[in-house]
Amino acid sequence: MAARECGDDTAARRSHLSLVVGRDRRSTTDADLARALVAREAWAITETWHRFAPMVLTMAERCLGSKPDAEDIAQEVFYRVFRKAKTLRNPDCLRSFIYSFAIRTLRTELRRRRLRSWLMFEPELPSDVATSTLDVEARDHLRRFYGLLDRLKPRDRLVFVLRRMESMTMEETAGHLDISVSTVKRSMARASNRLSRWIEADSGLAGLFDGERGER
Amino acid sequence: MTTTCDESRGSRALASLTELGRGGVQPLTPAELDQGLNALHARIATRRVRHRQMVRWSLVGAAVLLSTLVVFQFASLSRSYWSAAEPPALAYQIEGGNVLEGGYLRASGDGGIKLAFNEGSEFELTPGTRGRLRSVDEAGARVAIENGTAHFQVTHSSNRRWVVEVGPFLVAVKGTVFTVSWDQQRERFELSLQRGRVDVSGPISDGNLALRAGQRLVVDLAKGETRIIEGLPERALAEGAGGTDLPVATRSTSRASEAADEPSGPTPSASPSTSKGAKAKHERRWAEELASGNWDRILEDVERAGVGVTLSSASSEELFALADAARYRRRPELAHEALLAQRRRFPGSLRALFLLGRVEESRGGGIARAIAWYDQYLARAPAGAYAAEALGRKMTITSKAGGPAKARPIARGYLRRFPQGSYAASARAILRVP
Repeated sequence: MAARECGDDTAARRSHLSLVVGRDRRSTTDADLARALVAREAWAITETWHRFAPMVLTMAERCLGSKPDAEDIAQEVFYRVFRKAKTLRNPDCLRSFIYSFAIRTLRTELRRRRLRSWLMFEPELPSDVATSTLDVEARDHLRRFYGLLDRLKPRDRLVFVLRRMESMTMEETAGHLDISVSTVKRSMARASNRLSRWIEADSGLAGLFDGERGER
Repeated sequence: MTTTCDESRGSRALASLTELGRGGVQPLTPAELDQGLNALHARIATRRVRHRQMVRWSLVGAAVLLSTLVVFQFASLSRSYWSAAEPPALAYQIEGGNVLEGGYLRASGDGGIKLAFNEGSEFELTPGTRGRLRSVDEAGARVAIENGTAHFQVTHSSNRRWVVEVGPFLVAVKGTVFTVSWDQQRERFELSLQRGRVDVSGPISDGNLALRAGQRLVVDLAKGETRIIEGLPERALAEGAGGTDLPVATRSTSRASEAADEPSGPTPSASPSTSKGAKAKHERRWAEELASGNWDRILEDVERAGVGVTLSSASSEELFALADAARYRRRPELAHEALLAQRRRFPGSLRALFLLGRVEESRGGGIARAIAWYDQYLARAPAGAYAAEALGRKMTITSKAGGPAKARPIARGYLRRFPQGSYAASARAILRVP
């Protein structure tokens, strides 16, 4: 078994068998993993998924508010990463390479949703808001909150999610979205103001937290 | 105050909801990760199959497109082949006479006889002219003028060839308009070319002469004289019909009028030379020699004085005469030198630009240079006397060198500017080629 794990990958590809990822693969550096991806090593797909899928899935779910949608986005992201691996110039930057694909895919998805909501003349509420750990009422609030996020422009929404939910700095957000820091600031201010206003206008959402604080 | 309070309520609620969204996402279990990986593998496999199918269908589409193109190309080629191989036979209509046995053209009245062909060509025999229609078929027509004057207007066609026998001379016709006469008694041949080109062969000094629009060829066999007279086609036509000869001085007149047509520049008389009287005499002599077909005498003069000396001291008219003599005597290098000297010393005269193009063509391999000269002429004299000819020549050599596709824009431009020009039929033919 050990011989198979450490064996020749080329031979493995020929026999159409994929290797079970061993400890040695887990300890592979990002740069080596990137090189393996470029060389289309079979194990590299598995390892890349295991290493980076949680990051992409979490961000996608925070951004979209739906686990199935997040999984769909993650698969699309990794499919594109494998296809475009050759375009990665610096293997040390694999993480940010995947992150940039994730953000690009999310932006496309948000634009598609916005277009669809315009065509359907009604906002599309997320069907499955996380999560099983929350009670029914909290899930309802979260669903309404994501309904408000859907009303934001895709870029404003991404800036808001990256800053507030992913805790990125202004510079990191600007770098990932390929925009200037001042644009990030403007987008952030616009998104926060609009969301605050909309929450305030929603008596259920605004009053809920007052009530919670009052109960405490 | 209320607004500030509302805003802070909204902000607080936003912070809480953001925290709820952020904290609500649970990390994936290993089973969920593996499930996601399997889904990813399935997606990769599906997309790969779809990609292969797309490639396959693209190839099929490309093959279908290619086959269609090949079929169309083949159909078009075979159509043009058959149309080229079997052009419709020429048919004609006679006015003012009839065709007798042996093709003899007999006028029924005093108004001459006219034949009009279905392809657009026509010719007319002036009253008293004797002629024969030797043959008419899909390859073209052959006409003989035994005595008298005839006016021809031949539509250019790459598939047909028109030949006119005029006494002992043979005129090979491309698309053109000309008047030709033969005086059997005086043994005098005369051809005035209004448009296009003709090749004349027969008992003339060089055996074969190519004439261009605006030239008049007069051959007096009794005197042993061959003269090419430039310009004045209308006048030549009017007088040619009467069989009278233009005085030699006509050449000087026509040259002077050409120089006046062109943009400013020093006139020949203003050229630096010896005395004005001697210069004018010399010019006249070369002009006479040229008009009389004594080209060798001009060349002998140049050899005697030295080419370099002549090129640096001759007047503008002399340089043109030398260039013409050198061209007629198949000495393109000398013609080239003379015209370059003309350009250098008399830059205002633009005719040399056009003639340089012609000389470059005859030198062989100088197509690009010829086009450059024509372009210069067209740029500086867009409405000049040689504009139509320069554009037509440019179109022709571009088509020969680079194929009809490259010549198409020029052909369009030519037809726009000179729809009735002598190269119009060629331009249309170029535009018709697929």
